[in-house]
Amino acid sequence: MEAIKRKKLRERIIENIFLLCACVAVISLLAITFFVFYNGLAPFVSNSYSLWSFLTGVEWRPGSNMYGIFYMIVGSVLATFGAILIGVPVAILTAVFIAEMAGSRAGKVIRFAVELLAGIPSVLYGVFGLGIIVPYVLKISPMAQGESLLATVFVLAIMILPTVVSISETSLSAVPKEYREGSYALGASKIQTIFRVVLPAAKSGIMTGVILGIGRAIGETMAVMLVCGNPIAGIPTSLFSQIRPLTTNIALEMGYASGVHQELLYSTGVVLFVFIMIINFAVNRIVKTKVGN
Amino acid sequence: MGRKVKDNFAKGIIYLATGITLSVLIFIVGFIFVKGIGLVNFDFLTRDFNEKVFYAFVQNEDVSMSIDEEALKQKTPFDDRYESLIEGPIYVDNIGAAIAKVTYKNNATEHEQLVISYIEKNSPLTNAADSTGKEMRIGTDYVIQSINGTDFEGLSLDEAAALIKNQSDELKIKVVQPGGGVKSNIITTLYMVLLSLVIAIPLGIFGAIYLTEYAKPGRFVNTIRFAAECLSGIPSIIFGLFGMAFFVVALKLQISLLSGSLTVAIILLPVIIRSTEEALKTVPTSFREGSLALGATKLQTIFKVVLPCAVPGIATAVLLSIGRVVGESAALLLTAGTVAQIPGTLLSPGSTLTVQAYYVAKEEGNIELACAIGIVIIVIVIVLNILSRIMSDKLDVFNKK
Repeated sequence: MEAIKRKKLRERIIENIFLLCACVAVISLLAITFFVFYNGLAPFVSNSYSLWSFLTGVEWRPGSNMYGIFYMIVGSVLATFGAILIGVPVAILTAVFIAEMAGSRAGKVIRFAVELLAGIPSVLYGVFGLGIIVPYVLKISPMAQGESLLATVFVLAIMILPTVVSISETSLSAVPKEYREGSYALGASKIQTIFRVVLPAAKSGIMTGVILGIGRAIGETMAVMLVCGNPIAGIPTSLFSQIRPLTTNIALEMGYASGVHQELLYSTGVVLFVFIMIINFAVNRIVKTKVGN
Repeated sequence: MGRKVKDNFAKGIIYLATGITLSVLIFIVGFIFVKGIGLVNFDFLTRDFNEKVFYAFVQNEDVSMSIDEEALKQKTPFDDRYESLIEGPIYVDNIGAAIAKVTYKNNATEHEQLVISYIEKNSPLTNAADSTGKEMRIGTDYVIQSINGTDFEGLSLDEAAALIKNQSDELKIKVVQPGGGVKSNIITTLYMVLLSLVIAIPLGIFGAIYLTEYAKPGRFVNTIRFAAECLSGIPSIIFGLFGMAFFVVALKLQISLLSGSLTVAIILLPVIIRSTEEALKTVPTSFREGSLALGATKLQTIFKVVLPCAVPGIATAVLLSIGRVVGESAALLLTAGTVAQIPGTLLSPGSTLTVQAYYVAKEEGNIELACAIGIVIIVIVIVLNILSRIMSDKLDVFNKK
């Protein structure tokens, strides 16, 4: 009797340990949100810096107490938008090739290539950008430096490829065979079937891939830091302007910042955080309504 | 006819896009290998990143040269840290080594240095001690700056050699251990991988066990899944911010190996939970029922029946996690620092390979070195991949038996 009781107790204890471990993810998420927001909202609550001038300022000069991040928001958004514009079509068409047109061998090769691309650490994309893309941009640029919005766009476009390709490919492969057969039976060609039947059917999955791509692009730090130029002021006016995305602002100065300066770097993190939430929720909505219809 | 043209056009575009994806990969990997391969050699992997100056105590002991003059000239070390060879080499008996005069390319200064170009096998230099009495060896490429208090600066090579020969007692030599290697970064990376896995794997696996084996589907499970999904969407710089605010500042762990690995462990958590959950789900319910029917408790069933079947899935999770740690940089930049050293304790900082690659590219503008580090990273990732695949294949076979 004693032994069984003890055994049962042990089972209960271990079950609770499992429960605790399961909760770590939730606790971490709450802790991250709390710590970033707590530190990031502090300067506005204590009135040591105005929220308005933080959000609308176009100069970041910690030395003279100017902390404006509007030009960074513009930079982040433009770079992400550009990367999506270039990267998504290439990625989706590559996914189409793998899922619909490639034989098993070619498909394997390209799938392996995409996996490898996903495994390359982001720093190395940055090094590649700095070594190849930046000098090329410099050749065609009217500016004195190659670090620019354009270079950032190219690096990010490459970096979102694996994410968008692999998710699009999965959703394309999940489209039932009957759809294609039905389309062929109606006299459509293979290409017509792909573009009119398969792609629309896989739309929501592809959208998910694109969202994740946007998330990756806007959150990318190390690669971008090497190729974007990081100016201390100025809204980008052309493709050759330097930009300073939100992420690099944090990474560049967190190491030595203190006081209000440091808190405002956390505030930059809060803005980034909010951005990611908005993107996720907005596009989640779109996907849901589309699927609903 | 019109349709065919259109179709072929579309096909062309699809091939073009695929070609772009493929060539981008080949281009990037090719760039990194071509740029960096010249720097990757044995020294690169076994040396520290920073050079180190210290005093070495060496026995004064004659060792004669075992090779001829021609061969000695061949052994003159020459990598791209040296600008040019000025004099030498000359073999000096009482240290059992040859010295040469070179101009040494430093970031700031360019001046003449005496470098050890060749060492005999039983040279006293290989059996030296530092000022604390710890045994150490002086190797080729080490720069020597003074001997028993007399500086070599301004001496010709012959004068320097004579100076060394004329010492009668134990030699106290000021040496500069060459840097430029990534040994410390490789070791820091290994530590980081091990520590973060030790933290994240049990948490992730136990969490996944709770979700699949105990929890009833419903709000609680959904909350955890939602949290894990949100976590995987957060950019790593935000994890870095959190790690800095919580582990570094609030818990006073400083910028250190421990802070870094705790932060990375949180990044790994969603990957491990998801892969383990999927692996556990593939284990048929009948296995569990059979075990329970034999009188096993739920816990015994989980550890003796369910988990062993899910091992290949969990191995995949470990593989993914290792790749993630090796590639992680933004979060580690803020929590583990950029100091290229082997962390002596859990609370000392150290930079992993990726952080070092960033530092070298950004702060020193040295693309070649960054690419050389990149080669090491890519090779590590590939080797780990292959190892884990072999492992999980084996486990698969084991399971099928």
